[in-house]
Amino acid sequence: MRKLRFLYRTILKFDAPVRGHSFAIRCIPPTNQVQQVNIEERYVTPADCINEVTDGFGNLRYVGRINDYHTGFEYGVRGTAVVQSMQVQKEPLHGMYKYPSAFTGFAPSIRAFYESLTVPEGDALSRAVFLMHALYETMQYESGSTSIYTTAGEAFEKRKGVCQDYAHILIALCKMAGIPARYVVGMMIGEGYTHAWVEIYTGEGWYGLDPTNNLHIDDYYIKIAHGRDYADCIVDRGIFNGFTNQEQEIIVSVEEIS
Amino acid sequence: MNELMEHTQEINNLLSRYGVKFGIYKNNTFHEQLFPFDAVPRVITHEEYVKLEKGLIQRVDALNLFLKDIYTDKKIIKDGIVPEDFVFLSSGYLPQCEGIVPPKGIFSHISGIDLVQAKDKSWYILEDNLRVPSGASYPLIARELCRRASPKTFRNNKIVDNRNYHKLLRSTMENVNCGGISVIMTPGRYNAAYFEHSYLAERSGCVLAMCNDLFVEKNRLYYRDYKGDKQQVGAIYRRISDEYLDPLTFYSQSLIGVPGIMDAYRAGNVAIINAPGNGVADDKGIYYFVPKMIKYYLGEEPILRNAPTYLPFYEEDRKYVLEHLDKLVIKDVAEAGGYGVVFGSDLSKEQLEDMKKLVEKESRRFIAQEVIDFLDLKIMDEDGALVPRKADLRAFVLSGEATKVWPSGLTRFSRNPDSFVVNSSQGGGFKDTWVLSQ
Repeated sequence: MRKLRFLYRTILKFDAPVRGHSFAIRCIPPTNQVQQVNIEERYVTPADCINEVTDGFGNLRYVGRINDYHTGFEYGVRGTAVVQSMQVQKEPLHGMYKYPSAFTGFAPSIRAFYESLTVPEGDALSRAVFLMHALYETMQYESGSTSIYTTAGEAFEKRKGVCQDYAHILIALCKMAGIPARYVVGMMIGEGYTHAWVEIYTGEGWYGLDPTNNLHIDDYYIKIAHGRDYADCIVDRGIFNGFTNQEQEIIVSVEEIS
Repeated sequence: MNELMEHTQEINNLLSRYGVKFGIYKNNTFHEQLFPFDAVPRVITHEEYVKLEKGLIQRVDALNLFLKDIYTDKKIIKDGIVPEDFVFLSSGYLPQCEGIVPPKGIFSHISGIDLVQAKDKSWYILEDNLRVPSGASYPLIARELCRRASPKTFRNNKIVDNRNYHKLLRSTMENVNCGGISVIMTPGRYNAAYFEHSYLAERSGCVLAMCNDLFVEKNRLYYRDYKGDKQQVGAIYRRISDEYLDPLTFYSQSLIGVPGIMDAYRAGNVAIINAPGNGVADDKGIYYFVPKMIKYYLGEEPILRNAPTYLPFYEEDRKYVLEHLDKLVIKDVAEAGGYGVVFGSDLSKEQLEDMKKLVEKESRRFIAQEVIDFLDLKIMDEDGALVPRKADLRAFVLSGEATKVWPSGLTRFSRNPDSFVVNSSQGGGFKDTWVLSQ
């Protein structure tokens, strides 16, 4: 068990004023079976109205609107989390996590790779860990090698990617092996950016694996949201009227407090 | 009736003047074409209608219960009636709608059920349309014009008046209205069914709104009127598909949606007609299971039959389909509007082999049905002669306080004598549908 202090901030700047700006933000870590979250501050500015809602996957979302002209938009959350990971979060399984999704399709290249492996007999977790190791051995982490629109298949063909791609490919591999899996977005110690990983269904509940680092999710991770793939967990979605370029700065920090 | 037929050209001219058109996108360009009207009506006897009405109500009630179950408890999956593959792999299943029970538990407020009549006069369900089925306005305005062209015809025949569709529609909307005005939302005049949107708004007294007129604040949907004042919207009959409905939840590039409307809907502040996510129940694969749903949810025997259908997903069916492919019609479950329908008898030997391979490889993607020997309807050709053509019937079932069938429907026919495909997007025409009162 560890106690972490976290901070998440996004600052958007527009070089020309925009208006009629609707937004939907997922950046608040929830309290669940492995993390006890205490929020000290949260803000969205400017905003004419904000509502807290839950989406179809069970994630917390802030939705709202800014009617008038503005040239900047900022939101953030700060708080502490007591984390006790490396345990199964008991929950009934939703069937949607068994089947391919838009980003985690069973591409022929991934299928071929899966068939080349000899997955040892064992429980879901040990087989998923085997797949994670195999993926880690064959992939190369390279930032900028893929985009947010890259699917599991496209990234795997290059054998290069970032955390989002590692997670998508591991999800596809697990599903091929009959292990339900889902995509998680969150924060981890030492990274200045949000991180993505995987939760697999053990038969009783969900258990986290970090394919990018070939690690079990331990007490240095704070989860924000989950879904079938990246598209279900986008931190910030917005739409506004205006002709502008936008500049985005994201600040993420997680540190341990004794 | 002869008098009516003599007025065919005039009625068509008037339909054209009123803008009764159907838009088609082909090769990325938009064409508007007239929806040709044939004055010889389809006649449904009172006796036949009573049975149809009962069967349609039963079917739509079961489909509504299925939708509620799928987005909440999923009992029908747990009880092994419907395999979950057919639910979660369906493109119409939207996890974003998980856990939402719409106002009064109604998902499909306006259902368009397509039927065909076989030569032995028995009716078969061809498909269910539970997303945004269009077409009611065409027979509605055609009846209006026919009555004007030949009032005598309608005095001398005992035809049930169908001109109350707008009232049915309005009461269906008011039944689930969460407080506020009722609007019909159109993506705009370049939509295939724009005539219908504007006509139904005019007749029902609902506000016709475009996406720019609507916005969400504090989980409530508002309409900005001509004065710039905002009015809360309690029920929205949206004529755009789910994936464009809310760019903050679905397809983010959508410019015809309303940002945040899904959250207003989830919060219970607005009724969306029909509910998002309904596509999971009118999937061509799920169609196979509708008779089972009727037994499961209602404990009743289905009154109306499905066309005999095979799911290659099941080994036994797959075997049958591969052996009899040349006699069957194969439908791609992901396609709609008459696209993706292949008749085995039209295929060459090589094409048949290719199709077999495809069916074997992607067994979940297809359904196969026996070709029904349609009862031809007479239409008047250009020279005034009566010739037989294939036709279907789209019945409109409205689920308000009670489930009601509109005593009419859209009868579409294929203008090509060799074709079975009657969809308006494939250039078919339409007829008035008379339901006799005795």
